[in-house]
Amino acid sequence: MRLNDATRRYFEDPPCVGELAGPGVCRGAAGSREAGTWVQFDLRLVPGSTDRIECARFLAYGCPHTIAAAAWVAQQAPGRLLRQGFPEDVHRLRERFEAPIEKLGRLLTVEDAWLAAAAAVPA
Amino acid sequence: MSAAAGDARPAYLDNAATTAVDPRVVRRMAECLTAEGDFGNPASAGHVFGERAAQLVEAARRQVADAAGARAADVVFTSGATEADNLAIFGVAELRREEGRHLVTVRTEHKAVLDPCRALERRGWRVTYLVPDGDGILDPRRVAEALRPDTVLVSVMHVNNEIGTVQDVAGIARACALHGRAWLHVDAAQSVGKCGLSFERDGIHLMSLSAHKAHGPKGVGALILARARGVLVEPRELGGGQELGLRSGTLATHQIVGMGEACALATAEGAADTARIAGLAERLWRGLEALGGVWRNGDPARSVPHIVNLSFEGVEGESLLAAVRPHLAVSTGSACASAIGEPSYVLRALGRSERLAESSLRFSLGRFTTREEVERGIAVVSAAVIRLRRIAGTSGCAGACA
Repeated sequence: MRLNDATRRYFEDPPCVGELAGPGVCRGAAGSREAGTWVQFDLRLVPGSTDRIECARFLAYGCPHTIAAAAWVAQQAPGRLLRQGFPEDVHRLRERFEAPIEKLGRLLTVEDAWLAAAAAVPA
Repeated sequence: MSAAAGDARPAYLDNAATTAVDPRVVRRMAECLTAEGDFGNPASAGHVFGERAAQLVEAARRQVADAAGARAADVVFTSGATEADNLAIFGVAELRREEGRHLVTVRTEHKAVLDPCRALERRGWRVTYLVPDGDGILDPRRVAEALRPDTVLVSVMHVNNEIGTVQDVAGIARACALHGRAWLHVDAAQSVGKCGLSFERDGIHLMSLSAHKAHGPKGVGALILARARGVLVEPRELGGGQELGLRSGTLATHQIVGMGEACALATAEGAADTARIAGLAERLWRGLEALGGVWRNGDPARSVPHIVNLSFEGVEGESLLAAVRPHLAVSTGSACASAIGEPSYVLRALGRSERLAESSLRFSLGRFTTREEVERGIAVVSAAVIRLRRIAGTSGCAGACA
């Protein structure tokens, strides 16, 4: 099990772990713990905005690449617009963390969780 | 090992995978390698070098036999337990193929037994795979029920390499004796120095041993055959006729001497080692049990203390191993070390869920394991489990979310 520096850094000391609550928070999750990979994102929008993200938190049950990718994605969130979509193409994300190709599905779970959160924008 | 290894090295708690060679064994081996030592070929009966090497091999044979409760004349040296398992299973199958083509084994056996059984199935043999109970124990009555008129071999592991459970091989041998035709092969690769072996007294027909699980060298093992009771195998290596013609090839004197010395040390010191290790294992279990949501795999009352296999709720297996790996050398429950490892087939056979099987760690202790290494193991694993549960949002699930 070889982890590159980025994976090890974001896996061992992941930023943005946790949950958010309150108005302006949209939550989305994908996968399941029973299946081995589960990711949840909470996105808080800038007050008064329906598009701009103020901050993000995540929870993840999964392999080191899943945790590292979710942490990195959450870290990119502040200032992004929901309509910009997932912060990075999932193939580029795989390259960033040098995840084996068999793990592409797990990184897609990270993307699905993000998209689910983005789709849960409060009316 | 900690003093010699230095603090920078991970604590080594993977002695079921292999052990450090005891320095006393190393010294004996080194004496068989150099020009000043006993480097001769044991088959070279024509000069003193060969004669001396042959004497050392025979002395080692007696040491191995003593450790197994067997006759020295029944010990055949091999390259390890895997070769011994293969020689036992294929060798008996080939020798007795006209008498019957049915084998009995257990789902929790080592791959060195299961893979030969699968290979025989592809050649038309029938194999019954028994499933132990939830604690990893196989009731000898289950073996008796599985025996058929055409059963020629039963292969059961003595000490399970993943969970440490000890099978009642004497009871299984009795079931085979009542059947009258089935020979019992016991893979005892993990047994030397951990618990008593009594090949002759228990009526076992064939037994595989390994040196490197008991502070001996890698690359040497033995198959013991009850030749006085008519047990033989068809050889798989031809050319030279060494080892009664059952395993040809120049004997590796230094390896064999090393195995003999390791067995002698296990015979002399195994009980004391085991008592000390039992205390360390108990400390390890109590220290990690405090986390909550920790399952002990296998019945500790019927296991060697050297192996403690634990499943941790609420953490993913690969992440758990990655988190402890810089500080701790342990095994996962996984049978496969690849990025997408399969959960342990042993734990799955015991009824553990895929997730729990995947989030298991095998801690295995040995003669050189220190209290400090055990304490480090507790600290490292506890920190990793707490951190991963926090990331997974499963901190509050201990005991409820397996």
